[in-house]
Amino acid sequence: MREFMHYITNAFYGATGWNDDNTYKELNTTARELIDFPLPRGLRLTLSSLATPHFATSYQLGSVDIVDGSISYLYTSVPLKNIAAKSETIPLPALLQSFRRLHDLGSRAQPCRLPTDTVQASVIPLTPTTHESQTAALPTPTETSKVGSSLLYGRLYLPQSLLEGLIIKRVSPALQVQLSAVSDQSLRNGGTMLGLVQYDKGKYGIEGLASTDGGLLGVRGLYNFGGDTSSSAIAPPLGGATSDTTGGERERIYGRFSAGGELYYGTLNKSGGMSLGGRFSTLPAHKGSPLTAALTINPLMGNISATYAVLAKDYCSLATRMEFNVYSYESEWSVGMELWSNRRPAGFLLGAAPPPPRPRERSFEEKLAWIPVGGSDTDKVTRDFAQPGLSEAKEDKYLGVLKARLDQRLRIGLLWEGRAKSLIFSLGTGIDLHKLGEPFRSLGLEVQYSS
Amino acid sequence: MAFNFNWSPLTADERFYERARDLLTTALNKSPKPPIIVDDILVTEFNLGSVPPDLEILEIGDLAEDRFRGIFKMCYSGDAFLTLKTRVQANPLNTYLSAKPSFTSPQPLAAASSLTIPLQITLSEIKLSAFIILVFSKQKGLTIVFRNDPLESLKVSSTFDSIQFVRDYLQRTIEGKLRDLFMDELPAIIHRLSLQLWCPDQLPKEGDELKDDSEPAAVNPLATPPLDAVDAKGHLVDPTEMPSLSLDGNPEIQSLFSQRNLKGFAGLSKITSSLFAPSLKDSLFRAWAGQSDRVDGNSPPLSTPSLQRSASYNGTPHTYTFSDSGTQDNGHFPSRPSLVSLNSATTGLSLGSGRHSKTGRKKKTRVLNLRKKKDSASTSATTSTATSEAGDTASETVSTPGAMSEPIIPHLIVEEPEEELTNKVRFSTSPREQPAARSPVSEEAIKREDPPAVKRDVPITLQEQQPQSARATEKAKAEPTPLSADPSRQWKRSGPQSDTSSVILEQALIMKMAGEIARRVYDEKARNPSFWEDREDSPPPAYEAS
Repeated sequence: MREFMHYITNAFYGATGWNDDNTYKELNTTARELIDFPLPRGLRLTLSSLATPHFATSYQLGSVDIVDGSISYLYTSVPLKNIAAKSETIPLPALLQSFRRLHDLGSRAQPCRLPTDTVQASVIPLTPTTHESQTAALPTPTETSKVGSSLLYGRLYLPQSLLEGLIIKRVSPALQVQLSAVSDQSLRNGGTMLGLVQYDKGKYGIEGLASTDGGLLGVRGLYNFGGDTSSSAIAPPLGGATSDTTGGERERIYGRFSAGGELYYGTLNKSGGMSLGGRFSTLPAHKGSPLTAALTINPLMGNISATYAVLAKDYCSLATRMEFNVYSYESEWSVGMELWSNRRPAGFLLGAAPPPPRPRERSFEEKLAWIPVGGSDTDKVTRDFAQPGLSEAKEDKYLGVLKARLDQRLRIGLLWEGRAKSLIFSLGTGIDLHKLGEPFRSLGLEVQYSS
Repeated sequence: MAFNFNWSPLTADERFYERARDLLTTALNKSPKPPIIVDDILVTEFNLGSVPPDLEILEIGDLAEDRFRGIFKMCYSGDAFLTLKTRVQANPLNTYLSAKPSFTSPQPLAAASSLTIPLQITLSEIKLSAFIILVFSKQKGLTIVFRNDPLESLKVSSTFDSIQFVRDYLQRTIEGKLRDLFMDELPAIIHRLSLQLWCPDQLPKEGDELKDDSEPAAVNPLATPPLDAVDAKGHLVDPTEMPSLSLDGNPEIQSLFSQRNLKGFAGLSKITSSLFAPSLKDSLFRAWAGQSDRVDGNSPPLSTPSLQRSASYNGTPHTYTFSDSGTQDNGHFPSRPSLVSLNSATTGLSLGSGRHSKTGRKKKTRVLNLRKKKDSASTSATTSTATSEAGDTASETVSTPGAMSEPIIPHLIVEEPEEELTNKVRFSTSPREQPAARSPVSEEAIKREDPPAVKRDVPITLQEQQPQSARATEKAKAEPTPLSADPSRQWKRSGPQSDTSSVILEQALIMKMAGEIARRVYDEKARNPSFWEDREDSPPPAYEAS
């Protein structure tokens, strides 16, 4: 589960039209989130609220060994008016879904495009049709408010007296500066600071960073080609504006290639690191199963990592990762899965699940008819009759998600997340199959309420 | 009197290295490891080598059968080595990130991917120079404290010897780690080892198993003589002559006892805390020995050597009551053989009672009964404040019934020495177990034939103190020494020969020296506080004086 403040920050990116996917850091985020999702430990309660469109607060109370907590505040200069912040209306995929679809490139190159496009695309990526309808409802922020916009965030962890601070400042349409700092007395010099300069030109994105810790300097960049970037003039239309004329072309896999690299050097400790990577990812306009494949190579350490993630069905995503080290011959694999469910969590307590909105007899006939037909036809028909039902039905369609992972050391992570009434909960456990005597390594429950 | 320090008998016990390796491994993995070490540190090889350290006795504060306190100067440059195995993280960015908060992490994508490399480190050519304070008490085990940083130099060879930078780093890091180990961990390890050897009942577990293999060694000191046995004049005793030596009559045999056989020694004189039991006529000692817990039901066989020794040596029959809680509870005091057999019969019972009484463990007052009348059981008792582990309430309460039955005992015990004089030590109740119990002894006898070990072992005795102290004097002269150093040394050397009048002189001198040292220490501290943190090899001033 993404934290509320993370969700608000994503909303800020959306409102200012920043594409936070167009960076080398996010090259294999989809697979990483499907596999390395964090498991809750102990009991954790979060109360959050977007009090005004500019201001959000969040209080967290947890007990793992001792009772601890945190207080966080967030201020944005951009009003986040149409963000669903209440936990009963907040779209679950925005908080819970791991599979990310690529955003459109060059949203800043074409100022006419609505910046909220990207918000909605990231928030509700399950339905390509949704953001068409919601975009119309959203007001368009002016170009001037985008450029000067900034976000301030601070968080104080209480017994530890650890302070986190973050400033995001949009300098120009293509340039964004982030400054994050941690103050903690256990750290050397009492704290660290990280400065990040991000330059996103659509076709490529470059980041430069500097950390006070060891004087680390870093550069990373990502270059996109193929797919929507290759055809210079005609970007394929998005989402529901599917026309039959281009349908034949999209039978092929339609996606974007990205390649990039990163380079770090610690000026004080005289050490460094680097890696290279490439990715192929389908674009939202692709009509088959969305997939993402990424390969990263660390030539210094001899590490090769390949990830593959696919949204097999609307409700099911799968990811695998293989790692191999050519120097030490160590290898590692892990798989992750995400399964969405429209059942009510704890249905026996809260009542029976609501009947699915889809008429049964219709779908049965359809199924009978579809079996011999090809996939594209199926898709079209589904889309056709799903069109009127639409957004609110999609919103309520999924009430929970089961995430699971398994790795080479036979450790299983299970996470069940969903919404119960107006609470968003996350229940997870870690299981070690090697220690069958006491297999449960961790157990945790997180409950989040926001208004 | 001579001290005989044995080095190689440690290696004769093949389980010693196993135990030491285990203890080292746990000690190394106990403290939180730096992020560069990604696996457990395993001690794969450990050898103390054959070259013993040079020991110089600086001061003996307390000396008794069951306790010892002294200060040594130890120099070591031998062939001991230690091999460790672990895995290290070779990616500096990975270790860099692991200690940093994630909020300000640069979050590299793959630049921080891990590359773990198996690493083998061999430490050899260890040179030590240390001032050691050694405190031994039979009940509390062996405590060693290093007064200074003992490590002079060592050679670190590893998998990465070809890379200069890594080699230097490892050398530096390991030296620092070893200093910590010597100052903090090693005393703890030695203490635990000694507890296993002498009083396993202090350890929470594995008592029975250890008891079994420590018993044969404790039975007869002569049966397991040290490798480099010397007689009272410091000459090496031919191992082949060893059987001809008997325990009776010859005071020189004392020097045959090595460190290893201190266990056997320790059982000797619960009574007077001296090496030789005084010939008190018609006296009866009741020793609630500290070992009674350890030997549970089998204490009579264990204590027979000391019985036999003191009886035969003094030639005057006096009696002891070695009673453990098991026999006392049952109240059996028939003739000796039947007592032994009863012991075996009630072993399970006495074991149980021994375990049970441990819960009520408290400080014990050892009762020494020197009396002629029977009814003076409680009045003439002198107490020693030794803190014995065996001091449980059960055994104390039953001491009075034991006193009631004492008229039976003398003539029963007297026949025991005759039996023992033929050197047939009763190991256990059943005679067929005797060969089994003897077998480690014979193995050691075979090992004793190993000539290089005998040659290399340098016994450090008090008689040999002269040349070493002379060397130390030269060394001390090279360094800035206190004014009183040389006179005191010379005086001390002649001390044992001098008569009682010199005791006063000694006390006065010691007082003066102590005052001088204290003043110098204080001045030094006031002048240079950091000196006490980073003193390296120079011994503390207190020891330069002597």
